[in-house]
Amino acid sequence: MNPESQDFEQLRRLFAVKRHEQPPPGYFDRFSRDVIARIKAGEQGDAAPANAGWIQKLWAILEARPVFAGAFGAAVCAMLISAILNSESTGSVPNPMNPAMTQAGGAFAPASTVAATSVSVNDNAALASGPILNANPADTASLQQLFDFNATQPNLQVAPVSFQTPAGN
Amino acid sequence: MIMTEPATGKASKPSPPERKVEQETPPATVDESVLVDRARRGDLGAYDELVQRYQQRVYATVYHMTSNHEDANDLAQEAFIKAYQALKSFKGGSSFYTWVYRIAVNKTINFLKQRKNRTHLSLNDLDFNAENDPDLVALTSDKTPRREANLTELQEKLNEAMQQLSEQHRLVVTLHDVQGLSHEEIAAIMECNIGTVRSRLFYARQQLQGYLSDYLK
Repeated sequence: MNPESQDFEQLRRLFAVKRHEQPPPGYFDRFSRDVIARIKAGEQGDAAPANAGWIQKLWAILEARPVFAGAFGAAVCAMLISAILNSESTGSVPNPMNPAMTQAGGAFAPASTVAATSVSVNDNAALASGPILNANPADTASLQQLFDFNATQPNLQVAPVSFQTPAGN
Repeated sequence: MIMTEPATGKASKPSPPERKVEQETPPATVDESVLVDRARRGDLGAYDELVQRYQQRVYATVYHMTSNHEDANDLAQEAFIKAYQALKSFKGGSSFYTWVYRIAVNKTINFLKQRKNRTHLSLNDLDFNAENDPDLVALTSDKTPRREANLTELQEKLNEAMQQLSEQHRLVVTLHDVQGLSHEEIAAIMECNIGTVRSRLFYARQQLQGYLSDYLK
């Protein structure tokens, strides 16, 4: 017999130790019972969520898979952030991009509306003395020009003003 | 079915007690494929019988791979549970025994890869026959360096040496040298060819010889 196989033979004899290693007494008496109990518990666990509400089903899924729980949490956070951003943008000053606010010619609002707003808000005296709405086309055109940011801006110049009173008064 | 009695020639039906005797055949004689079919239809009693048939061998394989009783208990149970859940996909191409072995082995190898460098031995006690085993008597009574080593020390050293092997090599040694499976059976379980089994076994034994040189002089 060659020495190598002789050594393997000795090794094989050493493995007899492993064959004598035994689990605690009675271990195999309850092994199959434990397996069957775990199978039954798993089946009941699977069947229960079917009768439960959708929240319990969702909870069962999230509990079983931590990845799903993380993804669900991230989705809720993303929805919350987008809702906050959305509410901020809708609560701000009129948006020029808002189609409801734009009219023909690119002005923010029709002249008549602007006139009505300015009168009703600022000048109570005007309310008492004159007509509320100015339907004069010339006036409305000038107002429209004033608020029309898309139109060419008038060439505004600054001129010195004197507040001296005439001599003799 | 109507049967004729040879002695009287009268027609008769099989008596109910005979049928009952047929049904009460000892479970050990029930064919594996019958039990598998019944288990597949949800008969947990049949599956319990299958578990009892193979629990010792499956547990032993996992235990010798992990050298830890608690881990082996968990993994062996999980292997049987997974096998039950996947029973519908079992085509019968191999025996149930080979199939469940494969599940246990794959589970164990995955577990060992995750557990890497966290080896904690939790060894089972040796049974009372160990001291009378001729192989072990020779190992502990010769006038060699191993003479003073008691069986518990040998057990510890052997398990430590086993843990030095890669999972694949440890598996081949466990299945062949500890559990006595043939090369063909091991090849079927590991889904590789017999040549691979032989070469792995040779390499693993060489490695073990190096680790256990003090006990093999």
